Amino acid sequence: MTEKQQEREFTPKIVGFLCNWCTYAAADLAGSTKLEISPALTVIRVMCSSRVDHNLLLTTFFEGADGILVAGCHPGDCHYGKGNYYARRRYAVLKKVMEGLGLEPERLQLSWVSASEGNRYADVVNAFSEKIKALGPNPINGRSDF
Amino acid sequence: MKAKIGIYVCECGPNIGETIDIPRVLETIPALEGYEDVELVPKSFGLLCSPAGKEYLAKEITDNGFTHLVVAACSPRDHNSTFIGVCKEAGLNPYLYKIINIREHCGWIIHDKEAATDKAIQYIRSGISRVLYQSELFERQLEITPDVLVIGGGIAGMEAALSLASHDRKVYLAEKTGELGGKAARFASLLPRQGRGADVIREKIKAVEENEHIRVHLNTELESSIGFLGNFEVVLAGNGDDEKTDLKVGAIIIATGYRMSDPGSFTGYEYADTDEVYSSLEIERMNGGEGIALRSGAKPASVALIHCVGRQEKGYCSRICCNYMMKIAGYFKKQSGATKVTEFFFDMCLPHKADQEFFDHSVGLGIDFKRVKEIGLSGTSVEFAETGGGKQKMDFDMVVLASAMEPSEDTEALAGLLEIDLDERGFFKEAHQTTDPVATSIDGIFVVGASQGPRGVSDSMLLAQATAGRIRCQLKPGGKIVPEVKVSEIMEAYCTGCRTCLEVCGYGAIYFDDQKGISIVNEAVCRGCGNCFGSCPSGALRTKHFTNKQLYREVTEALK
Amino acid sequence: MSHHESVVVVGAGLAGMKASLMLAHAGKKVHLVETLPIIGGATIKNEESFPNLECSTCLVAPIQQEVLQSPDIETMTLSAVEKIEGDKGNFTVTVRKAARYVKIADCIGCGMCYEPCPVSVANEWEENLGERKAIYVPCAGSLPNVPAVDKEHCLKLSGKQECNACVEACMFGAVDLDDKDETVNIEAGAVIVATGSGMFDASSLPNLGYGKFPGVYTPFEFERLFASNGPTLGEITIRDTGKVPAKIAIIHCVGRKEQGYCSGVCCMYSFKFAHFLKKKLPEASVYNLHSDICVPDKSYQKFFDGVKGTHTEMLYNSSMEDLKVSSNGAGLKVVYLDEAGAEREIDVDMVILSVAMVPDEGALGLAEALGIERDARGFFKVLDEGIVSVESSREGIFIAGTAEGPKDSQSSVIQAEAAVGQVLAFLESCRPEAAEALAEDLKA
Ligand SMILES: Cc1cc2nc3c(=O)[nH]c(=O)nc-3n(C[C@H](O)[C@H](O)[C@H](O)COP(=O)(O)OP(=O)(O)OC[C@H]3O[C@@H](n4cnc5c(N)ncnc54)[C@H](O)[C@@H]3O)c2cc1C
Ligand SMILES: Cc1cc2nc3c(=O)[nH]c(=O)nc-3n(C[C@H](O)[C@H](O)[C@H](O)COP(=O)(O)OP(=O)(O)OC[C@H]3O[C@@H](n4cnc5c(N)ncnc54)[C@H](O)[C@@H]3O)c2cc1C
Ligand code: SF4
Ligand code: SF4
Ligand code: SF4
Ligand code: SF4
Repeated sequence: MTEKQQEREFTPKIVGFLCNWCTYAAADLAGSTKLEISPALTVIRVMCSSRVDHNLLLTTFFEGADGILVAGCHPGDCHYGKGNYYARRRYAVLKKVMEGLGLEPERLQLSWVSASEGNRYADVVNAFSEKIKALGPNPINGRSDF
Repeated sequence: MKAKIGIYVCECGPNIGETIDIPRVLETIPALEGYEDVELVPKSFGLLCSPAGKEYLAKEITDNGFTHLVVAACSPRDHNSTFIGVCKEAGLNPYLYKIINIREHCGWIIHDKEAATDKAIQYIRSGISRVLYQSELFERQLEITPDVLVIGGGIAGMEAALSLASHDRKVYLAEKTGELGGKAARFASLLPRQGRGADVIREKIKAVEENEHIRVHLNTELESSIGFLGNFEVVLAGNGDDEKTDLKVGAIIIATGYRMSDPGSFTGYEYADTDEVYSSLEIERMNGGEGIALRSGAKPASVALIHCVGRQEKGYCSRICCNYMMKIAGYFKKQSGATKVTEFFFDMCLPHKADQEFFDHSVGLGIDFKRVKEIGLSGTSVEFAETGGGKQKMDFDMVVLASAMEPSEDTEALAGLLEIDLDERGFFKEAHQTTDPVATSIDGIFVVGASQGPRGVSDSMLLAQATAGRIRCQLKPGGKIVPEVKVSEIMEAYCTGCRTCLEVCGYGAIYFDDQKGISIVNEAVCRGCGNCFGSCPSGALRTKHFTNKQLYREVTEALK
Repeated sequence: MSHHESVVVVGAGLAGMKASLMLAHAGKKVHLVETLPIIGGATIKNEESFPNLECSTCLVAPIQQEVLQSPDIETMTLSAVEKIEGDKGNFTVTVRKAARYVKIADCIGCGMCYEPCPVSVANEWEENLGERKAIYVPCAGSLPNVPAVDKEHCLKLSGKQECNACVEACMFGAVDLDDKDETVNIEAGAVIVATGSGMFDASSLPNLGYGKFPGVYTPFEFERLFASNGPTLGEITIRDTGKVPAKIAIIHCVGRKEQGYCSGVCCMYSFKFAHFLKKKLPEASVYNLHSDICVPDKSYQKFFDGVKGTHTEMLYNSSMEDLKVSSNGAGLKVVYLDEAGAEREIDVDMVILSVAMVPDEGALGLAEALGIERDARGFFKVLDEGIVSVESSREGIFIAGTAEGPKDSQSSVIQAEAAVGQVLAFLESCRPEAAEALAEDLKA
């Protein structure tokens, strides 16, 4: 199989949980500037990145996501004060859990993208989908032993 | 009843019309698997946000009797509120509707039309799947009391009381000591720019005492408080007697002021009590009383005024001391024009537009300003190095220190009682430093004056007026408040009472029910950020409109 | 609706927007008058705000959106107050709305009309560091996200030649080149003036080389250069040459002496710039040439301590008059007198002049239109200025934000909130019932 074919074969499925106040606004800005962004990403809007808990992340992996991007305000910018700080703490723990499950921790990425960073949003998403493409499909997708 | 979902794709002119194959979208929807029990009605329209579009959509909802609505259009940041309005008008509970952003997330960023269309279909599927799990939510109106409790009777507290008291709003003012006015009551004068000066303080005291809508409780402190914006129940206790007062108030204003930090605790200022070294506040008191004199009773012939004492150790500038030190220099000059006054400063902090003039005026009075890079005391002898110069020593009859203003002694206890946050310096912390500076982490509790940070009289009064503005807007006499609807709730059966959620909630919206042994969300306070949700180890939390089921449906459908 | 149920707010910066939202929550009808085609004021020019380096857009965009979506706020862009008549509590405010040539209700902000427009001109909102078309929004993310046509440069409107490109490009028929200026009369009980401030003209001090050397920047030029939605998409490069600066001097207190006051915010934004520079150009050498360090909020000293030494070298400049910026061939040379009065010299690629905040250039006209006084410095005068007041010299008109004097965002918001408090109390007192009650009280 040539590299080209392989690429065509595997379009990763990425779920992006975006904070309503910052990153979702950056995605809008990227959109209105018509930047090209990988279709691999599906955006799910949440009010704060802190709402994204372990269960939601694990369920998303079990349901077959090849990668998850959680993106919110820069540390210290949270609309609700400390939400993204807690998100960051939880995410460190989850990376360990993922390793135990045989999932590469890089499949979960936490990024800070603020509302005026439309270009950065596009770069972050595109780079992440390249990374996931290189990692290949989610190894636990469809496994029922969990 | 069988669910009937209206799915309306907005063409947004060419923005969706030309970037997404809408006919293919409309064809695909009725054939979606897994919706055999649901009636799906897909349609498209030119511009749904236009007046014609809104009218059309409202009519469609009523005519078709939709149970749910999905609008595939632009960003919710643009038009979510538009379509919520349409739902309300058409009698559909807006929480049974969802907007899908196929413009910013598909049409505009996926430049291949087929791929964009596939993606749009995927998003719409997710939306349909989610909306079926959404439930109706209803706004609630809560009765409030417009009355206000002010804690602290300094200039800030008095101004807050005076700005709010009226025939339909009572203000209770609790002052710990036996008199009103706070520190400024003892000042002989204020800064030259402050017009009528100290008279203002005395006028305010009189105005408070005479105002029939303000009830002053002297020698009184706060004992307990429970409740939330519009509905606090507080108990005041007399210090010294057992008198208790129960009050119902809608808001609480903290105005407990500041105290001077102890200069002795800062390096270079280890002076003895017998030395002729005084704090600036002591000089204010002397000046306001018998006049400024040495312990012997003699008037000092030379005086050193030292700025910024403790600024580095405390980690902040106290904002007002450069100014009041110039005022104090003036006291000495007024007492005797022959007094040699030397001011040692590091930086001149002159942030008000009129402050530079005061400085220029003070230079004109013959006050000797020395800009230093280091300084220390030994008795009343000052060792210093000017910027650009070497070490020198000068002897004075008297030394006056502007030591940093710090939070007043009860600050920590009060913060604990009211469950609000302090900042790293120990002052009360604002809800948001820039955009919400007089509110605290708890709705309905405000902080004004020098208890929020070092401030002069004018700034303290301005904070008080700002708080009055906030309260006038939030708590109208006879009015009601409408709390956030998309809040969190705790499912009793699952809560183990571990209290993790209590700690992470930044708004104090969760309390512990000792009888039931579980945590409970006060829906009137919760703002629905979902932070508690992520922290609960037992899965007992639910965030309304962002429930697990709703998000799982959205995710699962997207990954199909 | 009776007069005292409505308020005119002039200026849609942070102060004006906050005041409008609060008044709307209090049940008043608000008419928000803004000269620019967009709302947001000075804050939206800054990518990040001190002291917490929060993303300004994240702070302000929700406020802008709430303003634009509030049914109780009528946002009037491209508008200016012409005159005011009547008495306190019963004003008639005449507002001139310049034609936008794009119908706000019909435009969806797709931007399809920009491309085809044949005219490119310097974008003044971007401090002339970038270009825009004759039909334009000042920057990506503008709110309202609806373009305006600049009639001075539009080929058709200026009568230079026939053109209909934008009209044809718009699928929504939103462009309307026949749009006309309009004058409206608004009945209002009170007015809040929150028109912000201007910036000291750096070119008036020829020794600083502004306007002469491309490497010399004003604060807002630098803010836009740093902004990721700005003309360089956030790349810090010197105009004309495109060179990335390796050494940068930030000069404090420019215009302080001329204006006769310290602005109280420039030290802080100068430290913010040092932070910006290190963030994007970690190898760069940054110098802050300062005199007094004015950090008057409880959290500002910490910000300063966080950049001093690590992000920038603090150099004491003992005499602004003796400071000189000149060319050294490849870049710039800054000559100044140090703390001991000795002459020093540094070679840099870029100079940022931290200039004083000064009265807005439109302040005089507005003061005349509203019949209110200004202070000796040209800022709007408040009664009892030294103690505390947000009341102007005319009853029923209130002042908030940097229109009253230089201040940071926090203090601007505080003043806006205080102004709202005063307005509500004032409107209350204008009610006929209130007058009767007062008369009763006086009798008793
Ligand atoms: C030497 C000196 C000179 C100054 N000169 C000037 C000047 O010329 N111009 C100027 O603008 N500013 C000046 N200031 C600053 C000025 O003192 C403050 O801005 C002002 O006093 C702040 O008012 P406040 O009401 O916030 O606090 P305070 O004046 O400290 O008043 C706080 C009040 O709260 C009460 N209280 C405390 N704890 C409790 C409790 N737990 N329960 C109930 N009540 C409580 C206190 O008893 C007090 O009455 C000067 C400061 C100093 C040190
Ligand atoms: C370079 C720089 C950086 C800064 N950085 C920070 C920072 O990081 N953090 C911080 O806290 N503060 C910062 N500040 C201060 C901050 O920008 C101001 O405090 C704040 O913007 C003031 O808000 P405002 O609403 O009073 O005025 P503005 O934001 O200036 O808004 C005034 C509005 O009124 C409009 N207007 C003007 N004249 C008229 C008229 N005649 N009719 C109708 N409308 C009119 C203007 O177009 C504008 O939209 C900075 C200031 C500068 C100069
Ligand atoms: S106000 Fe002046 S004396 Fe006080 S800490 Fe600040 S710089 Fe020092
Ligand atoms: S005027 Fe027309 S083309 Fe231009 S942005 Fe608005 S809708 Fe788009
Ligand atoms: S009519 Fe004017 S604004 Fe429109 S495209 Fe032509 S020049 Fe540009
Ligand atoms: S704030 Fe700083 S830079 Fe600005 S005038 Fe004052 S001392 Fe100078």
